[in-house]
Amino acid sequence: MESLIEELKTKIIAGFNLEGVTPADINPDEPIFGTGLELDSIDALELVAILESDYGIVITERAVADKAFASLRALAEFVAANRT
Amino acid sequence: MFRRAPVITGTGIICAAGCGVAAVWESVRANRSGLGPLTLFSSPRYANHLVGQVRENVDKFAGNVRGSRSDKLSWIAASEALAAAGLDAGFGKINPARVGVMLGATVGGMLCTEIFLTALLRENKHRFDPLRFHECAGAADLCAKKIGALGPVATLSTACSAGAMAILAAAELIEQGEADLMLAGAGDSLSRLTLNGFGSLLLLDPNGCRPFDARRTGISLGEGAAMLVIEAEETAIARGAKILARLAGWGASCDAFHATAPQAEGRGALAAMQRALERGQLQPGEIDFVSAHGTATPDNDAMESRALKKLFGGAVPPVASVKRFFGHTLAASGAIKAVLAVQSLREQAVPGTPGFEVADEKLSLEPVKEFCAQPVSRILSNSFGFGGNNVALVFERTDSKSSILNPQSAIKNQSFAVLGVGVVSAAGNSLAEIAATFRSGGAVTSSFAVPAISPTALAKVYAAGEFAAEQFIEPAKRRKLSRLQQLALVAARKSFSPKLAKTVAPEKICVAVGTGLGSLNDTAAFVENMILKDERAPRPSLFTSSVHNSLASQIAIELNFSGLNSTPIQRDISFETALWQGATELTSGRAELAVVGAADELNQYPLAAGIRWGWWHESSPEIRPFAGALKNRERPLPGEGGAVVTLGRAQYAASPLAFVSAIRIGRSENQNAETEARWILETLARDGIAVSELDLLLTGANGLAQPDDFYRAIPESLSKLAGKKIACGAYKHACGAHHSASAFGFVTAVGLVRGEIAPEFCTADKITLPGACRTVVLFTFSPTGTKGMCCIRA
Repeated sequence: MESLIEELKTKIIAGFNLEGVTPADINPDEPIFGTGLELDSIDALELVAILESDYGIVITERAVADKAFASLRALAEFVAANRT
Repeated sequence: MFRRAPVITGTGIICAAGCGVAAVWESVRANRSGLGPLTLFSSPRYANHLVGQVRENVDKFAGNVRGSRSDKLSWIAASEALAAAGLDAGFGKINPARVGVMLGATVGGMLCTEIFLTALLRENKHRFDPLRFHECAGAADLCAKKIGALGPVATLSTACSAGAMAILAAAELIEQGEADLMLAGAGDSLSRLTLNGFGSLLLLDPNGCRPFDARRTGISLGEGAAMLVIEAEETAIARGAKILARLAGWGASCDAFHATAPQAEGRGALAAMQRALERGQLQPGEIDFVSAHGTATPDNDAMESRALKKLFGGAVPPVASVKRFFGHTLAASGAIKAVLAVQSLREQAVPGTPGFEVADEKLSLEPVKEFCAQPVSRILSNSFGFGGNNVALVFERTDSKSSILNPQSAIKNQSFAVLGVGVVSAAGNSLAEIAATFRSGGAVTSSFAVPAISPTALAKVYAAGEFAAEQFIEPAKRRKLSRLQQLALVAARKSFSPKLAKTVAPEKICVAVGTGLGSLNDTAAFVENMILKDERAPRPSLFTSSVHNSLASQIAIELNFSGLNSTPIQRDISFETALWQGATELTSGRAELAVVGAADELNQYPLAAGIRWGWWHESSPEIRPFAGALKNRERPLPGEGGAVVTLGRAQYAASPLAFVSAIRIGRSENQNAETEARWILETLARDGIAVSELDLLLTGANGLAQPDDFYRAIPESLSKLAGKKIACGAYKHACGAHHSASAFGFVTAVGLVRGEIAPEFCTADKITLPGACRTVVLFTFSPTGTKGMCCIRA
């Protein structure tokens, strides 16, 4: 799980083009969106696209995304359980 | 205050609920949804989604029309509206110069572009012809040509409120006295881009939208068009036209909040509705029915319910959303709702809300479920678009009180202070840099890769260099903006002194920043991805950038301007249309400051098409206006860039850069210098400017014999009238040829009247003026006949 969390951190930083942010800056137990990273609802949807292209997970409902994105740890668990 | 009431004398409609007003009204009466399976094109990801597809044979119905599906839908609706207004056999005694066309659009010819890109990327076939119909301005140009309109003709983008914005703009033109009759509305076809785009935002409900329902999850995408013939009441009565309804009020606002999400409390929506009521001198209690935007996204319906509660308090009139009848038809939505509102007023009955079953306790608003007869004198119709671009319209029965107040002479003596200019171009990113480029004889071209047709093909272009976006936009915001959005935002920031924001309230600042083609590179990336990956993992941020009005709305979001917000998309006069919209807001007093401009960017696909069509080649000469060096099929080399100017009413003019007046848009059937000289003269005269004051006519001359000979003949005509030599100038040798070049021309004109740019570097034969260059007319004529002008004075 920890390695998946690190992998997701890297993908978020690269996918969102977060200049000056390092993996250590992201707390895996904090909400991913609406916190210090200044990520918003469009970023959340970008993350939906990343999950689909990189892990084969197709999300079509916002409620599913909202739950999966509660924290990076929750996301890692969601990815581990649903990846194809 | 001067007012001419706009009335509606004809309506037309085509959508999934039927072709023709009668057929659609029959569906509404039966509460019958027109949603069904998608068969227009194949979409692996959304194959099972219900959509509002027009089932009639659009090509056949449109008759002998060349254009995109959106263009054809628009013309079908326009034909019906014109016939209903008794104009199908021509305009009779109505002067065509007093007839205009104002349309909204978001999709335009995207369906054609998708066909081109699919053939290219999937089969490596170079079929560039569909790209001829890419532009959103196609429908307005088509309608204007068909009916011979010679008044104002333009296309506006405010995403899903564009149809309503076009009606608003048409009403302004009538009220100002600039036109007596306007064809207004919008048409948008289905496309894979919009389907995948809304899909990427998780805003689609595959089983059909459920407005205001507790279980709602999103929209159903639809297509269609609706048109209205809007006339000045007095001229409509004079020609004996049957008046169907009156446009009693209209209002626009910007949330200045988010690219796609509405401001949750409905701040902007409420402001638009309040402005519409104020404009009509109406109280909330005088509204009998609300035709909601009601898209059925969780956020929109919650926001709209809150805004309605705030406006009406405990007495919200009956509300319905018609979206499930035909789907969300994007730009066309506001126009279709306008036609249905007119029908409701005539039939004294209101539509229901198909799709609604379970009330949402959180909304405390329950819409009308089914069609019902009820007395209805006034209808408020809402349209809200991405970027928080809101428009509210009020339609009223013709037997209600007339709103004609003090008819008197119309437009005159408008003059606005140019408070700041911002520019990004191949010639430089400031007035001083541009002046230096003119002195050196023009900008230098660079190479631009065109991998679509060849790994080695390099075209010569006038590219905008680096524009230091990082100095003007925070990294967290910049990473989400397209290059063109950044370019326009940098130009806007340069034009707008932060000091002004301290003295003017945000709602008193409007933004109109146009574009010919929008954020082409992000749009192309989204569609390429869609085609190559079979619609897997569509990218939401590329989609939001592809929406034209993201240019103006991003400026409003970043600088917190909540007045009218619009992105004109009318080819070469996108800037002039933006200027007209900004001036209209200033004249009426609704805005104290107007941030206006235009921007376009280079992209490999239009370049590839131009190379294939023989427009450009390896030895294409650089642009030399009036030199006549281009031959046969050659075109001037393309460029890119943008310019934004901040205009203010006189009281902000402590030290203005210049003044601008005589702002006007129009159309001509052909290039005739005498006609244009008269048009310019007339426009100057009504703002009290004598032709003898004019020193220079600054034009879009580009090195082609036509238009250059035409442009050069205009000041010759004017010179005879003025009894003095008026020079002919040009600017495209400094910025390249592109749709937003005249915004650069405006900055050039400011440089000329300030003495920072010497006329000899802009004029044919390097003319030196006898005195200082103090008055310049910027005149732009687009190849489709639309034209625009303004007068810049020291």
